[in-house]
Amino acid sequence: MDKDLHSTFAELMFHLLPSPYESQEINHLTLAYFVISSLDILNSLNRVEKDAIANWVLSFQVHPGTKADPNNGQFYGFHGSRTSQFPPDDNGVLLHNHSHLASTYCALAILKIVGYDLSNVDSEIMLASMRNLQQPDGSFMPIHIGGETDLRFVYCAAAICFMLDNWSGVDKEKAKDYILNCQSYDGGFGLVPGAESHGGGTYCAIASLRLMGFIDDNLLSSCDSSLINVPLLLEWVVQRQGMDGGFQGRPNKATDTCYAFWIGAVLKILGAGNFVDNKALRRFLLTCQYKYGGFSKFPGEFPDLYHSYYGFTAFSLLEESGLKSLCSELGITETAAKGL
Amino acid sequence: MASGSSEVEEQEQERVMLRDRPEWSDVTPLPQDDGPTPVVPIKYTEEFAEVMDYFRAVFAADERSPRALSLTAEAIHFNAGNYTVWHFRRLLLESLKIDLHDELEFVQRIAADNSKNYQIWHHRRWVAEKLGPDARNAELQFTKKVLSVDAKHYHAWSHRQWVLQALGGWEDELDYCSELLEQDMFNNSAWNQRYFVITKSPLLGGLEAMRESEVLYTVKAINVYPENESSWRYLRGLYKGETISWANDPQVSSVCLKILSSKTLFWILSVTVINRIKTSEMPLRL
Ligand SMILES: [Zn+2]
Repeated sequence: MDKDLHSTFAELMFHLLPSPYESQEINHLTLAYFVISSLDILNSLNRVEKDAIANWVLSFQVHPGTKADPNNGQFYGFHGSRTSQFPPDDNGVLLHNHSHLASTYCALAILKIVGYDLSNVDSEIMLASMRNLQQPDGSFMPIHIGGETDLRFVYCAAAICFMLDNWSGVDKEKAKDYILNCQSYDGGFGLVPGAESHGGGTYCAIASLRLMGFIDDNLLSSCDSSLINVPLLLEWVVQRQGMDGGFQGRPNKATDTCYAFWIGAVLKILGAGNFVDNKALRRFLLTCQYKYGGFSKFPGEFPDLYHSYYGFTAFSLLEESGLKSLCSELGITETAAKGL
Repeated sequence: MASGSSEVEEQEQERVMLRDRPEWSDVTPLPQDDGPTPVVPIKYTEEFAEVMDYFRAVFAADERSPRALSLTAEAIHFNAGNYTVWHFRRLLLESLKIDLHDELEFVQRIAADNSKNYQIWHHRRWVAEKLGPDARNAELQFTKKVLSVDAKHYHAWSHRQWVLQALGGWEDELDYCSELLEQDMFNNSAWNQRYFVITKSPLLGGLEAMRESEVLYTVKAINVYPENESSWRYLRGLYKGETISWANDPQVSSVCLKILSSKTLFWILSVTVINRIKTSEMPLRL
């Protein structure tokens, strides 16, 4: 992998995202997370100004004021972007709060990457109000005005609590039950109960269980007492590596760069990284590497930010020299996760 | 007209900027403030920035008007994932008492461009929920249409499962799965839906009642394409929680033997055999 080329690509993205990304403006913090975490993995974070990043991220946090009642049904976290953020009225009352779990996860992840001490984040009302998003079945809504509930937001909630080292925002038992309900007959996990097993859903399930402390490192050696059907899961996961070396997200679908992370990270968390044919995977990923930096979804296409990021994380899981190692369950580097 | 989408279509020919439209002359756009040090800025097009600035002004003023509704349609056209816009649209649909059947058509048109977007499906569900059982056929038809273009469309399948559970319509679902599998035996989404139907349909009596006929169906499918992972996993799923009967069912043994005696040895089969040997009380004679 051409590390310098990719660093330049990520740096360019850092300074200006091309117009097509405006359609994802609402997830601006997520786009920023992809760029900044890319620079970190590529060991190139020294190219950007960390304090400016921290201040910018913190400016998306919702501060409801002291009078806000955490039981009013709202969630007070981070806005995803400027278009959803509105100034308070003349009396200082916040009329529009569209804090989002995914944006909040990305905000905290970026802050950790740039070395900001999360104990300085005002997180009391964030955690207390996060409970308003958890549903009776244990799943999470992403935003209090309503939205699809699925494993992605269980993961975001778990990662937020883990990073803040405070689990008051999640009913872990309920979340666990929901995750277990998402394990399909074939061993993988769908995004909601009954849905088809999916690489992304399986990552959210396993990473959440790991972050919540329900499964240990190297689950394989202790699989007898496990909550989930580990042998069936492992069989499903291992078989996602295709003939071309890449990983697919579902059986009988084309292989795709991003699943090298979603599936690779699950194998890593399960302690089963040795089941991957690393050489073949590397060969596949290189066919998706763009000549001017970045990775595409499929071989020979134009790159995009999302697949570039998961291309970098995949190379990190492959222990490519010069790349920082990854904390698979948090989706950031080990150094960022440990606050080093 | 009420949903504002026909306006969008006309404007695609030659779009007039909002500032040049007389009906918007009384509105002062509310620009977004990205602070003194924007990070990872996006190179907005002029059209995008303008639509969102007008949207922000109208939303902040909480203007519940037909022109606001049509503005949400324009904003959705530019960024279909913007949940603030969709949220305001739902408030407007309620305030203006719009016929929600028109809204289903609007969603269908938006989905034609970009159906892989969570907000569109969330909105669709909101509308269908409001319409209740009335919406059942429209929703089953809509997902069928999406699936006729992409038979593995994850959002469409999720929506369809929700429709079946919330609004009903199970009668033809098993036949629909068979139809899709006939078109493509390798369609894992259709196998998954089949499993969903036989375990969840109130009309079929559950997994236990369906096992025998489903094993027969699946063994046939495996004989046609022994390399198909989906059918093998489905077969295994039919014995969920029943390792003993899985290990002893003569139908499973015979399909394994038959495939083994043919020239090619498939990985999935060897896993199945090993798994059966492990879980079997009696050694499997091969
Ligand atoms: Zn992908």
